[in-house]
Amino acid sequence: MKLALSKWFPVASISDLPYRHIFQGQLLGREYAIWKADDGNINIWENRCLHRGVRLSIGTNEGFELKCQYHGWRYANRTAGCTYIPAHPADAPARTICNNTYTCQEKYGMVWTCETPIGDVPDIKGFKSFTVLRPIPINSAYKNVRNFLSSKEIPDHHMLRSKQTEFWRFKTNAGNLLSLVIQPQSGNISILRGIYNLKTTGTEKLRVLKYYNSLMTKLRDEIESQHLPKLHERNPKISKLADDLSQFPTLSDQKHNLRVSVSEKVKLSDNIVKLKLKSIKKQLPTFHAGAHIDIVLQNGLIRQYSLTNGPGETDHYCIAVKIEKHGGGGSKIISENISVGDIMAISAPHNSFPLLRNSTHIIFLAGGIGITPMLSMAKAMHSMRQSFELHHFTKSNDKEAFSHDFASFTNKVITYNDLSINQSLTTIKSLLKKPKFSNKIYVCGPGEMIQNAIKIGLEFGWNESDIHYEYFKNENEIHKNSTFKIDLARSAMSLEVPSGKSVLQILKENGVNLVSSCEQGACGTCKVRVIEGKIDHQDVFLNSLEKEGQNIMLTCVSRAKSKRLILDI
Amino acid sequence: MLKLYDYELSGNCYKVRLMMAFLKLSYDRELIEFYPSKKHKSLEFLEINPLGQLPVLMDNDFIIRDAQAILIYLAQKYDSQNNWYPSEKPSLVAEISEWLFFANDLTATSSAARLHDGFFYTNIHVEKCRKKAHDQFRIFDEHLYFNEQQGFPWICKSQYPTIADIACFPYIILSEEGGISRINYPAVRRWCDRFKRIPNFIVMSGIFPAGPQKVPDNEAKQSKILNGN
Repeated sequence: MKLALSKWFPVASISDLPYRHIFQGQLLGREYAIWKADDGNINIWENRCLHRGVRLSIGTNEGFELKCQYHGWRYANRTAGCTYIPAHPADAPARTICNNTYTCQEKYGMVWTCETPIGDVPDIKGFKSFTVLRPIPINSAYKNVRNFLSSKEIPDHHMLRSKQTEFWRFKTNAGNLLSLVIQPQSGNISILRGIYNLKTTGTEKLRVLKYYNSLMTKLRDEIESQHLPKLHERNPKISKLADDLSQFPTLSDQKHNLRVSVSEKVKLSDNIVKLKLKSIKKQLPTFHAGAHIDIVLQNGLIRQYSLTNGPGETDHYCIAVKIEKHGGGGSKIISENISVGDIMAISAPHNSFPLLRNSTHIIFLAGGIGITPMLSMAKAMHSMRQSFELHHFTKSNDKEAFSHDFASFTNKVITYNDLSINQSLTTIKSLLKKPKFSNKIYVCGPGEMIQNAIKIGLEFGWNESDIHYEYFKNENEIHKNSTFKIDLARSAMSLEVPSGKSVLQILKENGVNLVSSCEQGACGTCKVRVIEGKIDHQDVFLNSLEKEGQNIMLTCVSRAKSKRLILDI
Repeated sequence: MLKLYDYELSGNCYKVRLMMAFLKLSYDRELIEFYPSKKHKSLEFLEINPLGQLPVLMDNDFIIRDAQAILIYLAQKYDSQNNWYPSEKPSLVAEISEWLFFANDLTATSSAARLHDGFFYTNIHVEKCRKKAHDQFRIFDEHLYFNEQQGFPWICKSQYPTIADIACFPYIILSEEGGISRINYPAVRRWCDRFKRIPNFIVMSGIFPAGPQKVPDNEAKQSKILNGN
């Protein structure tokens, strides 16, 4: 059995994976959901939803995500990370919710897998070109089929001896080759798969397929009629859930520990550059719409950029960067010093601007480069066939920059070029003048635009909790001169925060590893729950309701008005 | 007016509902409870169908019994395209008939196993039914595989689905309710996906819709651009 786990076996023919199909396969008792994504990637996953254990093979292949039929959980292409839980539309699922994936190779027109692979799928001598035969399931144990094949004379075929015991090779009287391989499906079912060493088409292909179908069917009937002893059927194998799914997750250390290489650098317009980042070794982690990553630049600067990827695009991350001629230097470095092939350090995606899907319609308002998180959101909404509209306020020299990202839903996008401040305000007023039940507003752009949109929304009667926004940066002046104490309820520590240092700095100096990102009160990554104390909010992330609530704070900029804060960490 | 004597959980009734959905026909339904009250064996219903079987279709005064017969009738009378039952093509009609009988045979195997497991029909020899169903599924899978190879996505040698596809679909797709796995019939599973994507397809309890079709790129229309001064 152990030996079998390190051998490659075929589990499907390539032709078993047509467009948007999910193939139900099985090997050594373990069931697989095998599906091809729209980008051509073949996924081999354990055939069960992590939620209630239902087979994923009865779900739907949505192109880049697989959706469970039972409660609609969605899983991303490649990573099998859960991207959406309909019962919690307002929460991004934890990244640890991830199905088991198995290694996959395509060879000889078949899909092969192996639990603990040593090397690649072996070569079969003499099969540079081939025709894949119709696989024949046999109600008999692998061992029986194996013994039968080793002893059986197949009419018009001569067995060729070979060291590869898993593959039988036969020479036909006409000099062509046939190779057979047995897939041990479960205790008492095996699948006989074959290839023929000529590429055939048309009527000749049909003749070959029919000839071998009939030959292999006869072998099947002979094996089944022998009434060989049945093995004790084992229960289907199902992996245990990972420990971190059943336990409280530990705080992940905030290292920029992902290494990516720049695989594409494209100028989208005079001022906007797009970078495509590919992982060097490991699979990139699952992201959710609205997420951003930290990028470490050569001079030590760390910058945050939103991912613009659509759902399930897990083989790369995409960011779009506006080149600020007078900015802090991050965009300049990206524009001038980074080129294709460069290796960069990035963080796993953080998401503090999550796409809440508990609304009937979303109005996206994007100012300039603030479009980036909304590209990812709009793609997710489009893929789930949910209702939205996207308004992009931009300069005419940038107007074409994202047309490629809009390609599949351009009818939902309106672009406004070179509007004056007053024209923009009038337009936003006309868009927001009728608040509707269960509609939401998402806004991202320059600080002034966000403030205006919130103001206009509130004036027209929108609920504050239905207006979501993300600032690029915190333009407020941060004062650091207060002194206070913090008590950490879970870590059982008491610390002093002196003037000139932030809560976050003090936490890190004392070994409390809190994840942070922008460190200027804009992104929300470092927020913690406050159990007691009066908070002096200085961020632009929390809305006024959240600030009034006095139970959540951003540790990078906010401080205490009281002498002490008790934090829930 | 069309009126269907119907039972939600019956695969045979579902065949007729599918046909009417594909042809966009409107109809009245009279529900005859099959389980547990066995209304299809009541004296009132026996007057409509002495065989005591569902479904029955009434087209004004004309009564048609048996699902397969109803399919032929509806397709002949209401399919203006003449694709579901192309009566002018003798070889296709012969092929369709062959598979209508196959579909009828499934009621003694796959459907019977489902009645045993789900409707407490304890006098059914379920293992025998399952074994026979597997024998039928093997043949069906081989047939569909070679049709695919020849460029025919459906049961018969036609580019369009026919009433043979409708007649076979319910008790194939419901087989797992009778403990008959389709894991070893990949061509059957692909055909099921294609069937579910026929426009106006409807579901019943235990049958799930297929995923979305590819959206053609031209569906996303021209974007709107407004310019400031």
